[in-house]
Amino acid sequence: MGETTYSVEIVVPEDADSERAGEVVEIEVGEEEYVLAAARNEGLWLPADCQQGWCTTCAAELLEGEVDQSDAKRYYEVDDDEDMTLICTAKPRSDLRIRSHQHREMLEHRAEYDKPPGKSKLG
Amino acid sequence: MASEEKQHGSGSVEPGDTSQRVGMEVIRERGGDPEEIREKLIDAIGAEFTTYYYYTNLRTHLAGNEDYKEITEDARLEDRAHFELVMPRVYELDGMIPNDIRDFADRASCPDANLPEDPTPENILEVLLEAERCAIRTWSEVCDMTRECDPRTYDMAQRILQEEMDHEAWFIELLSMERDGEVNPAGHFVRGEPGDAPYSKNNPFNESA
Ligand code: FES
Repeated sequence: MGETTYSVEIVVPEDADSERAGEVVEIEVGEEEYVLAAARNEGLWLPADCQQGWCTTCAAELLEGEVDQSDAKRYYEVDDDEDMTLICTAKPRSDLRIRSHQHREMLEHRAEYDKPPGKSKLG
Repeated sequence: MASEEKQHGSGSVEPGDTSQRVGMEVIRERGGDPEEIREKLIDAIGAEFTTYYYYTNLRTHLAGNEDYKEITEDARLEDRAHFELVMPRVYELDGMIPNDIRDFADRASCPDANLPEDPTPENILEVLLEAERCAIRTWSEVCDMTRECDPRTYDMAQRILQEEMDHEAWFIELLSMERDGEVNPAGHFVRGEPGDAPYSKNNPFNESA
């Protein structure tokens, strides 16, 4: 039996620094796959750096669905409460709809809750 | 005549104006964002600096595995060299490293390389390997940001990347043997002296680098 896969819709914001800005890209992601790697494999280049769930570069907003974020090195309850996800270490647990390119929003959110990396990156 | 008044004029920067930097404006003219590059560099050297710290602990827990210890020492000192190499660039780009070391560590672009709860050589080597992989991703990002617009930062980033890739190869080789009993050669060996940093120190930007 093959691995379960989920359908993931990625909303790339109009103002994103991406060739695909304004598009909604649909991909299939296996239950043991990370959303970021799957998107890059499908030719959708999304921002990332550490790919270990630490730096927040890959942050996205979870519009619909559920993810397993347990592999992230730094992920907080307040992130979950505000539907922020680190897609480099997020495995789908249902079909998903996410808004990509939310690094700035994530930094503001973390600063508001006094969580790392704090305010020093907001200038 | 304007050209006589501005004999040394350069783009939009007035002659003698020390409030602006041509070194930043040339990046902007080429489509880069010097402030964004600078902030990324602070995160990246934050990770080099924290790794230098954490590898100290990892190295000291490899007693009895003198070859692992030596290679960890190499990687540790080279990560410090990477911090030293790029730190001046942050200032050239009109920035500074955070005043509070806690801010610096918090914004490091890679996870803390903590000593594992069960500090066996296998577990320590896995931490080392994943730390090197994070560094490879970070410096590849910096290369992407600077390739077309900022040759000075690009040159530093690609030289650091060379060493981080060496480090990954070393730890793949050691972890393969330690954990799986497999020969998985790095294809090269450690430096002549620990911390040689043949790429990042071959053209140092200051004496301490
Ligand atoms: S890329 Fe660093 S948290 Fe996802």
